[in-house]
Amino acid sequence: MMIVQIGVGSGGIIVLDLLMRDPRITQLVLIDPDRYEAHNVHRHLFPADGVGRLKVDLAAEWVKRFRPEMTIQTLPVDVMAADAQATINDLIAECAFGIGAVDTEVAKFHVDALMRRHQRPWTLGEVLSGGIGGWVHAFTPGGACYGCVASHLRRSVTLDHDRPPANYADANATVTETRIPASRSAISVIASLQATCTQELLSGKDIGFTSLLLPLTKVDGIFTESLRPYRFQIPRSPECFVCGANQETLSGGELDAALDQALARLAHE
Amino acid sequence: MGLFDTEVGKRRLLTVELPAIEKYNEGRSSQFRVQAKKVRNSLVLTYHLKPCHNTYQLETRLEANYPIIPPITVIKTPIKLCPHLLEGQTLCLWRQSSTREASRWDAAKFTVVFAIQAAWRWLACYEVWHSTGDWPIPDAK
Repeated sequence: MMIVQIGVGSGGIIVLDLLMRDPRITQLVLIDPDRYEAHNVHRHLFPADGVGRLKVDLAAEWVKRFRPEMTIQTLPVDVMAADAQATINDLIAECAFGIGAVDTEVAKFHVDALMRRHQRPWTLGEVLSGGIGGWVHAFTPGGACYGCVASHLRRSVTLDHDRPPANYADANATVTETRIPASRSAISVIASLQATCTQELLSGKDIGFTSLLLPLTKVDGIFTESLRPYRFQIPRSPECFVCGANQETLSGGELDAALDQALARLAHE
Repeated sequence: MGLFDTEVGKRRLLTVELPAIEKYNEGRSSQFRVQAKKVRNSLVLTYHLKPCHNTYQLETRLEANYPIIPPITVIKTPIKLCPHLLEGQTLCLWRQSSTREASRWDAAKFTVVFAIQAAWRWLACYEVWHSTGDWPIPDAK
């Protein structure tokens, strides 16, 4: 069985470490553009002497130590890189399951689109800022997409250039949000949960949720109890513009031509 | 990768955004219709809004990562410096309501027409602020 994993950062490597021990998995594709940096060391499985090397290469070597027979293909590219899309699409078409360990909303939507295109199930793990908890989401063909989930959970996207708005009445009225890195133990818990859910799904079992939120610590105003899981069964939304019924069947040149015609009409309104 | 680079982006435009704009324009006088043009890899909409007393010209841009990233709206008509106006005359549209429901962008539910409506609301607030000195959404951040 072939698995495509996008992201081998501090969370992704733990998911990978657990899943690669599953004998059902015989082929891996690892996608991550980053290099291992000194500031990654305290939260990662790779040793300090790996600093400067590509994470996918270090991850492949890690797997080979335990599963020397595993077939591994590494792609040190951004999953959204235009010139890698053909290759990535081909690999996802071949795989049985996808693992998402990415941390930007744009990347999550993109992975979701790739998996949906090829009708592949996949899981996504997310650790909350400060490691106060985390999410595991499970996406199955025909079920809710990441857009349905993000909409249901009322997620917002932070823009890269998003700054506190200027307030000329009070220049100190807004403060930029501070992000606190999660601890290795918090990352490990959520990543392990993602690996466990993945294995259940690989066995054909119903895990009973689309999204699972696990608080790891009590936080006033956010989590009243630690380690109490919240399960969400989020249905696919028929009105969802991301995965919804408006699936135009045109493609390639016909799609371009239809788009050009529609734009020509609106250019002269 | 831009809106016009991927089949997902192009389908979103063809099946969701452009029909929403065409519907918005139906029956509207020509001065207030939205014009849409492809500029490099973005879709740029130009239009006029008149919330109360004055007519303003605006430009809304759907950038490469739209719809995950919300549209960016700039006011072209010169206005006074005011709250909730970002650099480059960009309207701060996505934090200006007292409820999270009304102030967040949702890629699964909203089209660019929602951003035009949000810009209309922003202009209405601007005109109230201009008259009274108070921005009429006190929880706007």
